[in-house]
Amino acid sequence: MKKIIIFILSAAIILFAGNLFAKSAPPALVLDISSSKTLSGTAGDFVTVQGTITNAGAKPLNNITTYLSLADNETKLPVDLEDWSAEKGLYIGTIDAGQTLPLNWKIHFVKAGTYSLIIIAEAAGDELPQVSGITQFQVSQKRNLNPGQVLPVALGTPIALIFILFLLSYRRRAEN
Amino acid sequence: MFKHIWKKEIRGELYTWKSMLWLVIASLLFSFTSYLLLTNKELSLLDQTELMLLLGQIAIGVALLIVAIDASSIITAEFEKETAESLFLSPLSIKDFIFGKFFASLTLWAAIFIVSLPYIVVASSGSGLTFAFIGYVALLGTLCIAGLIALIFGISLIYRSTKNTLTTSLVTLIILVTPALFSSTLKNNAPSQFFSKINPVDNVFASLDNVLVDYKTAILGNWKFLLPLIIFCLLTIGFLTFAAKRFKNREIIKND
Repeated sequence: MKKIIIFILSAAIILFAGNLFAKSAPPALVLDISSSKTLSGTAGDFVTVQGTITNAGAKPLNNITTYLSLADNETKLPVDLEDWSAEKGLYIGTIDAGQTLPLNWKIHFVKAGTYSLIIIAEAAGDELPQVSGITQFQVSQKRNLNPGQVLPVALGTPIALIFILFLLSYRRRAEN
Repeated sequence: MFKHIWKKEIRGELYTWKSMLWLVIASLLFSFTSYLLLTNKELSLLDQTELMLLLGQIAIGVALLIVAIDASSIITAEFEKETAESLFLSPLSIKDFIFGKFFASLTLWAAIFIVSLPYIVVASSGSGLTFAFIGYVALLGTLCIAGLIALIFGISLIYRSTKNTLTTSLVTLIILVTPALFSSTLKNNAPSQFFSKINPVDNVFASLDNVLVDYKTAILGNWKFLLPLIIFCLLTIGFLTFAAKRFKNREIIKND
């Protein structure tokens, strides 16, 4: 009985240690963001998110693709990158063992709000993609659509036109 | 001599305030559109260029409609009111007659353009595209409207009836404008793409889109849209010349 218990305990310890080892094994691909963790600007500004991708493994990694993911912090919904970045995905190809490559993403702030951006990298044969740390965007509204200017124009132009037309009509009558 | 006809037409337009009420209505339309769009809190930076595009389309669209209606009656009215005969008995060539009427119709476009200027300036404030916006609305609008006037004048000289000319002109305008308002997904087959490339209104809207939304402000970058417009103008001027010669050869005008 003792032998059975010792066997079961040993097996459990080995399995647990194996799992622990598997979970703590560092991923071959490492993504680092070197630019600031928080980028601020006004709608319409361009910022550059800089980072690196490193193959920390012992073997070259093939078919590596990186892409961006942007989420609106208020709505908790992903944002369509259509107008934010011209390059939504970036195909890198092969990274040799120990090699580090730079990543640069030019981002166009389109709409006011706070956003979270992560870079995701996938390599051929990897079960799970690797993700970078989060970069926060704080985009303030651009007040170039000054509504204060439109009201005088919207009201003033028709009124000025009516005045000019009456003036012309009056002048014509006076001439006659 | 054409200046005399031109001035006469403009004086006729300015005779009463009622005859210029359409200009006030056009400005009210611009006021409503720009106020509604500019005060929308949800508008982002990207939306500003799109509202500028919408405002440009409305300004040119309104001008096309008003000029089409005016051009449909400006020549035919002379026949219906029986004033054409006395006009042609004076030392007036058909060329001067057409030029005078042509510039009078084009002046209506100039009036609408001037009225739309404050709205264009306010709508494009801060975008850095104000001068490009004004310049392209003027250029594209003038080319498209000049071509349309020549086409309508040609029809007028053939029909010599306001009712028929107006109906044909408005139907032609609808044929040109409706496909230009279709989204690009509705233009994914060869015939619609071909029509889109030759349609002057489509080229006007596409060029404005190119300038305002894609920031391609150089003339060379818009050449593919300007060339069909120039060809449209030349073709309609050719048609007008043919209609004028046909009109003259039938000896309706004997003193030319």
